[in-house]
Amino acid sequence: MKNIKILLFLLTGLSIFGCSDLDEDPKGVLSPDGFFQSVQDVQTTINGTYGNMGEERFWGRKFSLPLMLRSDMVGIGDQGTAERRIDHDNFTVSADNGMITSFWPRVYQIIGGANEAIAGAAQLGAEESQINPVVAQAYFVRAYTYFHLVRLFGDIPYLDEPVTDIEAAKSISKTSEAEVYAKIIADLEYAKQWLPDTQPSSAYPSKATAAGYLALVYLTTNDFSNAYTEAKFVIDNESRFGLGLVADFQDLFDATKQGGLNEALFTIDFNGFRSGNYGQDYMPALTGIRANEFGDIGGGWSVAVPNVEVYNRWDGRDYRKSVSLDTTGVFDGVVDDFVNFPNYDSRNIQSAYIAKYARFTGQTSNGNGRGSEHNYAQLRYAEVLLIAAEALNEITPGTTEADGYVNRVRGRARNQAGTITNFPADVTPGLSQDDFRTMVLEERKWELAFEFKRWYDIKRRRLGDQVFGANGIEQRPNFSANRDYLYPLPNDELQRNPNLEPNNPGY
Amino acid sequence: MKKNKLLRNVFFVLLGFCFAFTATAQEKTITGTVTGEADGMPLPGVNVIIKGSTSGTSTDFDGNYSIDVTEGATLVFSYIGYISKEILVSSGVNINVSLSEDVSALDEVVVVGYGSTKRSDLTGSVSSVDSEELTAFPVLDAQQALQGRAAGVVVQSNNGGEPGSPIAVRIRGNTSIGASSAALVVVDGFVGAAYPQAADIESVEVLKDASATAIYGSRGANGVIMVTTKKGKKGKMTVELNTDYSIQNVSNTLDLLNANEFANYQQAINPSYQQGPDNTDWQDLIYQTGNTGNYQLSFSGGSEKINYYVSGNYFDQKGVVVNSGFERFSFLGNVDADITDKFKVGFNSFGSRSTKDGVTTQAQSGGRGSGDVISLAYRFVPDLGVKDADGNNTINTVGDEVDNPYAIATETQDQTLIDRYRANFYAQYEIIEGLTFKTTFGWSTRNQTRGRFQPSTLITTAGGNIGGRARSESVKNSNILSENYLTYKREIGKGNLTLLAGYSYQKDKTERFEAGAEGFVSNSLGYYNLQGGKTPLIPTSSYSEYEIQSLFGRINYDYDDRFLLTFTGRRDGASNFAKNNKYAFFPSGAFGWKMSNENFLKENETVSNLKLRLSYGVTGNPSIDPYQSLARYRAIYAVAGDETVNAIVPDQLANPDLKWESSYQTNLGLDFGLWNNRVNFTFDYYNIDTKDLILGDSSAPEYVGYFTLNSLKNIGEMNNQGYEITLSTRNIQTDNFTWNTDFNWSRNRNKVTKLPDGNDIFLDSAPGHFLQNETHILREGEALGQFFGYEYRGVYQGGALPEGTAVFDGAVAGDELFTDIPDEDGNRDGVINTDDRKIIGDPNPDWSFGFNNTFRYKDFDLGVFFQGAVGGDIFSYTFLELASGGSNATKEALNVWTPTNTNTNVPSAAVRGKRITSRFVYDGSYVRMRNIALGYNLPKDVVNKIGMDNIRVSLSGQNLWTITDYPGTDPEVSYEAQNNSNANSSNVSQGFDYGNYPNLESITFSLNLKF
Repeated sequence: MKNIKILLFLLTGLSIFGCSDLDEDPKGVLSPDGFFQSVQDVQTTINGTYGNMGEERFWGRKFSLPLMLRSDMVGIGDQGTAERRIDHDNFTVSADNGMITSFWPRVYQIIGGANEAIAGAAQLGAEESQINPVVAQAYFVRAYTYFHLVRLFGDIPYLDEPVTDIEAAKSISKTSEAEVYAKIIADLEYAKQWLPDTQPSSAYPSKATAAGYLALVYLTTNDFSNAYTEAKFVIDNESRFGLGLVADFQDLFDATKQGGLNEALFTIDFNGFRSGNYGQDYMPALTGIRANEFGDIGGGWSVAVPNVEVYNRWDGRDYRKSVSLDTTGVFDGVVDDFVNFPNYDSRNIQSAYIAKYARFTGQTSNGNGRGSEHNYAQLRYAEVLLIAAEALNEITPGTTEADGYVNRVRGRARNQAGTITNFPADVTPGLSQDDFRTMVLEERKWELAFEFKRWYDIKRRRLGDQVFGANGIEQRPNFSANRDYLYPLPNDELQRNPNLEPNNPGY
Repeated sequence: MKKNKLLRNVFFVLLGFCFAFTATAQEKTITGTVTGEADGMPLPGVNVIIKGSTSGTSTDFDGNYSIDVTEGATLVFSYIGYISKEILVSSGVNINVSLSEDVSALDEVVVVGYGSTKRSDLTGSVSSVDSEELTAFPVLDAQQALQGRAAGVVVQSNNGGEPGSPIAVRIRGNTSIGASSAALVVVDGFVGAAYPQAADIESVEVLKDASATAIYGSRGANGVIMVTTKKGKKGKMTVELNTDYSIQNVSNTLDLLNANEFANYQQAINPSYQQGPDNTDWQDLIYQTGNTGNYQLSFSGGSEKINYYVSGNYFDQKGVVVNSGFERFSFLGNVDADITDKFKVGFNSFGSRSTKDGVTTQAQSGGRGSGDVISLAYRFVPDLGVKDADGNNTINTVGDEVDNPYAIATETQDQTLIDRYRANFYAQYEIIEGLTFKTTFGWSTRNQTRGRFQPSTLITTAGGNIGGRARSESVKNSNILSENYLTYKREIGKGNLTLLAGYSYQKDKTERFEAGAEGFVSNSLGYYNLQGGKTPLIPTSSYSEYEIQSLFGRINYDYDDRFLLTFTGRRDGASNFAKNNKYAFFPSGAFGWKMSNENFLKENETVSNLKLRLSYGVTGNPSIDPYQSLARYRAIYAVAGDETVNAIVPDQLANPDLKWESSYQTNLGLDFGLWNNRVNFTFDYYNIDTKDLILGDSSAPEYVGYFTLNSLKNIGEMNNQGYEITLSTRNIQTDNFTWNTDFNWSRNRNKVTKLPDGNDIFLDSAPGHFLQNETHILREGEALGQFFGYEYRGVYQGGALPEGTAVFDGAVAGDELFTDIPDEDGNRDGVINTDDRKIIGDPNPDWSFGFNNTFRYKDFDLGVFFQGAVGGDIFSYTFLELASGGSNATKEALNVWTPTNTNTNVPSAAVRGKRITSRFVYDGSYVRMRNIALGYNLPKDVVNKIGMDNIRVSLSGQNLWTITDYPGTDPEVSYEAQNNSNANSSNVSQGFDYGNYPNLESITFSLNLKF
């Protein structure tokens, strides 16, 4: 008997744990299976694309900084900064450039998120009137992102649905620039059809955003007639869309005021909170003056700094100049002029610094401004006006209508913090088509200075040889029109899919 | 009776002659005591047999025996683990015998999975490390004591001499790329347990080939380390007190520029550079003399039915870097009881609490504000002091804006507390003769908390005006294990059959959370008052769980003590395996032939042991973290309309076919003993083909748009081949003097045999702020982790380029010259770009060895232990950074190229990108005197007089002497940056040096008391 008791006792060892089915029940891990249950889930997925836009590898730094550096308006301050940055300023970019290889996957993750949202919305089976105005954001996001890519790279891999078969996706070829533009336009048309007239915030695209981007896309492809039509559509409906020019130009770049303004058609928002590199805004740091005590954010890093020629050539009477440039800093409690900046840190240079981002970074800002509350306008109403003016001039030169659009922008610039001045004056009526074109591009240069627009203007108007030549703000002898209007595709991506070869000319 | 063994054999032969002539025999009673030679302790249960008969007795509890014999008979004293002695009964009635331990230990019991066996019956490849080797010098972690002790076992600290740094043990090379290559650890039967203290370990067995490891199935591919803790022995209570005290210093520092030299050098780069006010040797500031105290008290003993062993240990280390340290308390208890002859139970428990005070070393990035103490001590400008004129911490004035290393070391807090507890119960019952059932149930838990605080005084560390940043992290892990198995032993004719069959279930849960805040009112709050911060950081938490259930079995058959057969099998099912591959079977088979027991060798005087072993089997590496095969979304932080919003991104696609990695291992071994095993030689050859390697599929283009860029797939194959030699000799054995030598040598050749589509896989290990990717490479036909970069060809002198070389676009005289690699058609493009990179170094050593000599003269003993690895390359990020212009530099900078100093290999002073070039590849071969120890055992009579059994004092030195050509501080490097891990970086990122905590040289005084 005793033996049996002991045996029974031992056998309980076995029975404590029976056979398990070994299925995984992941806790704290999100499964795509059955994720899409409501319209809100589609919005959550679209929000993921906004989250990726506000990450370091996109608008936080990696994607946005080269756009600045390639323009003639911004160069490198601290020469000791990363070579991969300097390469963009000097046009010595190679196919393994660390900025490009770094933002490339993130950009496609924004697109992947948009595709996922569109596919998820399709399986919901919700009413068109319910789901389409939401999913139209994803169409916009996809168009917005591909628009960046096509301008930077030309022909690119194009995907408009979630990849479920990686093997198949490995061998796709590049889609031609023209075809990509056609798809961008189709997406924007969808977005324009379904997005609401207004949104609770400019972080969400509206009908006007889609139309405004259509105008910009058409302008970029030199389809001036459509560009004018779309821009005009926005302008004619400005009150319906709740759009207008902000009275004081400075408010556009004051993080504490941006949320309540009605000028931006689409923004990438930061709110001072961060998780890792998500929600972290490096632009105040990159553009700020080292050792500057102004704003108490710990100064900047003096990386992206305009050549002093920007300061020299910008009319001192222009209010926008004082909003856009910092000519002084505070050091050891004393305000000092930019010629003395290097005295406080040898990595500063004798030039006026970009003020649009480092000056008013918001209440939670610290860490050199990395906790800024900036909302970065991707398109603002002033630009829509300038698009209309530029496009109209190409269709019908010398109209007072075109003059009027520019004059609205200049009129606002005459409001210097409440004091109305007489600079800049209205456009001289009757300019020739060429002169008007030059004038409106100059207007864009000052109005949209450092807003990541200038490089795209240089590219679409093929201004490189001129602006980087002997009389340019920046002389860049390395600039080659045959090569530098396009980035190289990342070389490792070409290795993964040789069908993407050849790389862009010159790389 | 201590004699040279050869002489003794001759003596016995002569005795035999004498015996033949001895006349009548007389009956009488012989009594005596049998003791162990080493410690003089009585040995209970020693067999005392009259030679040539079956009659005999055994010693009692106090080692005493009594036996009736006829004069002229020979008594044979035998005891497991000791060398048997034969003694001729002459005129006396009292024969006291001391037995010496069998060093060759052919009869030693070797612990294998779910059982034990005599070494002579092994068919697999198993190395043993005994407690004496484990405690030869004080170590924080018992794994460190394995280094150089067993052939084919490589031990490496993850961070030089950092107190409490994790230790990696690899057996027979890396068998994996994407998964861990760490050996499975089994402590007293508990799979996956933490190591106990070295002093509590009786023996460590390293199971190497498939025959030995396949019983652990899907977890056996990396080898298995079986740790057995000490048990009480029958006899009176023994109390041992072991204390070690060490004084430690860094073994080496770098020779850098002083303030004046540095200012000259910087002014060559930037003429407006203004020299700072101080002249600081930062290495001198952050290093201190460290010390280690290790104190162990144990009680052990037992009666006929119960034995016990309990011990407590206290370890305290002050690191050689200021503010680093480690403290630990631990205890261990083992109790075994024979309730009846057939029913046994036992309980084993272990607990510890450790506190690690860390300083940041081997940083992932040294960009703005994120530097680590060691690399900063090298790169920080020498012309500043710790504080500036205003009393603030100084900040680097060239390169990245970082705090000085002394400020970081002394003002940041980083404390890790780990509590561990493990309890393991077993019961064993002999159901019928030969059939035993054993059940074990164990539970272990690990609670870990880590607090970090960066005060506001570190302006750049915490970012401008953040006002201090605190983080608190907690990880809780628990693990249960239940195993039940039957063992059946039976003699069949001339053979012995042993069968084993069992079932095992194990479940592991880990949960983790982390919270943090910034902007503290005061730096005194530290990390215990997160609510005192102005800005909370986004908290994170996670959970993971896996289950594994298994059936396992083994058949051992030995025929006539000549032929040995072993078959094992294990079927594992695991929750972390993907849906379509939940179960796996791992078989092995082995054959052994004891040739020395064959007639043609049996009587051979020279060859005392000769055994051939052959095995083949399949083992696995589970390689898959929980949930890795599932399709996933990932929540990210997102802002829209200035509000934080819920947001998800597509993370990865499902891979329902993902499965474990499998290693197919062949082992051919030979054990060879000469002259009564005074010389023991073991040779093993192995070939391991690992298939279905799990790799991040970097062949997937990044434009597919998933967050996880390289999701896991079974897409690789690898081969490891090697030889291992172990040679133990007892060179001199006399009464007063003995000299023993142990030597082991191993050579492993690793080769990646298949990668996805045959494409190279580029890996990144550079510190983040180097802004370099593609630092090393996996390539078919090459060993793991080849350094990849440009081949440095000296300094460009301007003008025409030497044949076959080129420079980067825009280079000027004084810049670096590189090999211009021709394209497929043999054309060189005359300029250096990414196509001009090649393999520039191989971190894998050609061979490694351990060499130990022990000399004993009367009561003195001397041990000298060398260990080395030869043929591996090192890539030094440290030297790359110091040559980049944006930091302090080595004295090499005094010889930079200038228009007037052209005969140099050092490029001109300039700020350059931190490119991966062969200029920073060095031979990392080394031979190191790990330990030299001189010991003295106080004479027995003196010791006994004061009521003690043994008193031993020793003085030893660790790492006092190293031979190497590596110009860095230490050739044992292990930098891993996990910035783009498309592979498990500890496998593939080898031989990188950056900010390693320096290796230590120490002087140790030890005192061991036994009573």
